[in-house]
Amino acid sequence: MTQPTTIRTADAAVVGAGPAGLAAALELGLAGLRVLLLDEQSAPGGQYYRSPGPEAVREVGDHRPAGARLIARVRACGVRVLSGHTVWGVEDDRRGLLAAGPDGDPVIVRADRIVVATGAYERSVPFPGWQLPGVVTPGLAQHMCAEGVRLGRSAVVAGSGPFLLPVACALLERGVRVLAVAEAGRPYTPRPAALGALRFPARLVELASYTARLARHGVRLHQDTVVAEASGRERVREVTLVRRSDPRRVVGRHGADVLCVGYGFRPQSDLAQLLGCDMGRDPATGDPVPLLGAAGRSSVPWVHVVGEAAGVAGAPTALLRGRAAAFDILAARGRTVGRRSRRAVTARLASLARFNGLTSRLYPDPARLTAELAAGLPGDTLVCRCEGVTADTLRSAACLPGGSDVPALKGSTRAGMGPCQSRECGPALDALRGRGTGAGAVPARVPLRPVPLSTVLHLRAFGEET
Amino acid sequence: MTGFDAVVIGAGVLGAATALDLAESGLSVLVLERGAPNREGSGTTAGNLHIQAVHTRRPGQAVPLDSQALLPAQKASGQLWAEAEERLDADLEVRRNGGFMVAETPGQCAELRTKHLWEEQSGLRTEVLDGDAAREALPLLGPTVEAATWCSDDGYANPLKVAPAYLAAARRNAAQVRAFTPVTGLQRRGARWRVETPAGHYDTPVVINVAGPWIGDVCAMAGLRLRMSPVAIQMHATVRERPLLHHLVQHIGEGMSVKQVTSGNLLIGGGWPARRMEQEGRSHASSRSLTGNVAQAARILPVLSGLRLLRMWAGPLAATPDEMPLIGAVPGAPGFYVAGGTYAFTFAPLWGETLGRLIREEQPRVDVSPFSPDRLTETGRASLTPTRKGVTPC
Repeated sequence: MTQPTTIRTADAAVVGAGPAGLAAALELGLAGLRVLLLDEQSAPGGQYYRSPGPEAVREVGDHRPAGARLIARVRACGVRVLSGHTVWGVEDDRRGLLAAGPDGDPVIVRADRIVVATGAYERSVPFPGWQLPGVVTPGLAQHMCAEGVRLGRSAVVAGSGPFLLPVACALLERGVRVLAVAEAGRPYTPRPAALGALRFPARLVELASYTARLARHGVRLHQDTVVAEASGRERVREVTLVRRSDPRRVVGRHGADVLCVGYGFRPQSDLAQLLGCDMGRDPATGDPVPLLGAAGRSSVPWVHVVGEAAGVAGAPTALLRGRAAAFDILAARGRTVGRRSRRAVTARLASLARFNGLTSRLYPDPARLTAELAAGLPGDTLVCRCEGVTADTLRSAACLPGGSDVPALKGSTRAGMGPCQSRECGPALDALRGRGTGAGAVPARVPLRPVPLSTVLHLRAFGEET
Repeated sequence: MTGFDAVVIGAGVLGAATALDLAESGLSVLVLERGAPNREGSGTTAGNLHIQAVHTRRPGQAVPLDSQALLPAQKASGQLWAEAEERLDADLEVRRNGGFMVAETPGQCAELRTKHLWEEQSGLRTEVLDGDAAREALPLLGPTVEAATWCSDDGYANPLKVAPAYLAAARRNAAQVRAFTPVTGLQRRGARWRVETPAGHYDTPVVINVAGPWIGDVCAMAGLRLRMSPVAIQMHATVRERPLLHHLVQHIGEGMSVKQVTSGNLLIGGGWPARRMEQEGRSHASSRSLTGNVAQAARILPVLSGLRLLRMWAGPLAATPDEMPLIGAVPGAPGFYVAGGTYAFTFAPLWGETLGRLIREEQPRVDVSPFSPDRLTETGRASLTPTRKGVTPC
């Protein structure tokens, strides 16, 4: 049974306890503001600083100790950390946040300022067999590795983006044989666009260490290569890799019981959208992102958006964006923030932006890649796993008069209407229309996550207000 | 081709049903739709088929509607829905498993008995049950239920399938449908109307304005003033469940309807107001209405409190100031017909047929004169004096 509604007030509410949220909460907390930090996981850290369980720390150590140190500082400065709290909606005035606590107990958070630091979703593209057990996303694989879990005997790592290499290394460390790494683009082939990388020697050293480790284990790194199919009965048994530029050419068939596949990340900007922030498109990826001014200011005066939710750029950028937003909020409250620290944050953000610009030039454009892969899907591929809708069904529905936009496609096929509410398949649905733009692929609606009706029922204080 | 026997404005369920009726009778029909077909009220509605008398007041509704006056149309609609799937050669997920209308207070129980008498007089079969008998018939009902009426003809259909199926059938009968083609002007030219769109203009002797929340705007383009009061209402769906509830459950005193649809989701609705009506783009559902609607629904059906809310959404309702349906020729504007108002989804097969008959000057199946637009014009006669374009007269 759930408890009656708890109403919490604060000077600032930060949603998401990943690098950006932690950094923002820390600066606000240090300045003496009453800060609530809400996060849906059972412990703060987000995906990047996710703390391994105590047993895993004993056995394999903490792979990112900086996270634990940051979390300790946040707690020490008086920030109230509400873990296990899922923000699922907003009040009608778009100021109050509706959350469900660990036991589904209703919580309403009202704060003068809201910092949205909700992070990113992993970007998936359907392929035949993606519903099989043993198919995991790189993020999940990395998390399991950090927990000391050995996901299987042998794995294929595929998709696109710089994240694939560290994940392959993490699998190796846990004793999983990595049979191949398949990258859809050609980022590791020397070409003029890659010369810019010379300006980031630390990143080159990092890259070299990953490739050296993979080479030591005899792992082949295939470029211009994508997954054509995963097959098996109860779980993945075989993975077929083909040339992206010539899908009839088989690069390899691997007997693997783990297939780790992902195409990077896309901003989780739905809470920002629910709060009424004006939305635009990420110029590099086409993903919906909030339109932001300096320091993560959104079009809604009391909302800042930071970290990956503001546009995917990696953890170092997220930390700085969190700090910058906190400084901005403090300045608006008349607090003096050291000009030097503000300037340092700005300069560092600019440098990181140059590196991110380089990355997006080296790796394929995710929207185009999604469109290309979706166009090549065999007709019987399950595109929407929740509702069991195939590519063929979607293609014929998209040909119906008036059936060509995403809401119409969803309405006529039920694709994207299941528990994930098209978070998984939305971009692919859009791409299957044949002229994908990402528009309306993943709508922001209350509830952001399925929420127990008992939680809604106990929002008494809220419901009874006049 | 720029001339048609009839131009239908709006590809919702009323436009689609009317287009089919007219096309089947051999008329050349063009359907113009500002967005995607079935995107607005017709696709966002609960999809209930209300055959027993309805409750009279949606939350936030100023005037109670005249429930008794709707019964002949409900009875006729019940018959037409029974034939709809065969006629359209489509699976509309029509389920007629019957429905309960519950009462919790002595006043509401008295209303139920009155309503039952009206239903008997109209030839609709309903049954009044006391609280215990109702709980025996539907053990999911909670302890506050004091009485219920049972009507075996109540049910629902899938609103995502109905208008598209009507449109497809109309197309098979040579009707043309233009999506994303808003009407931008309407002029009387001799004995015909000129309908302007960004894609060109069309001349026709008959215009059917079934534009839902934009009915008033479309009238205004033709220089006609019709008092409409469109609102946005909202719906809530749970995640899929095993089969739990086979009937429609409504409340006589409050806006509430609950049912489980074919896909397994339970839909909770009842006409609760959305945050606000957005004429452009989708209206946003209200968290306050969510809590209100769920609280009453879980009181009547306590099993709901163990389920999870999956999504909620809002859609427009082309309401009239008196909350009654609207159908007929607009006085003073020859060949200009309008249909909308409450319970349009239930009435769609009937209103489609009725508009066809009115246009062909045949006798409608039921007398629709009580729902005539006369009552919503300034003087009972619409004047053809121009009003400002795009202004909704309310």
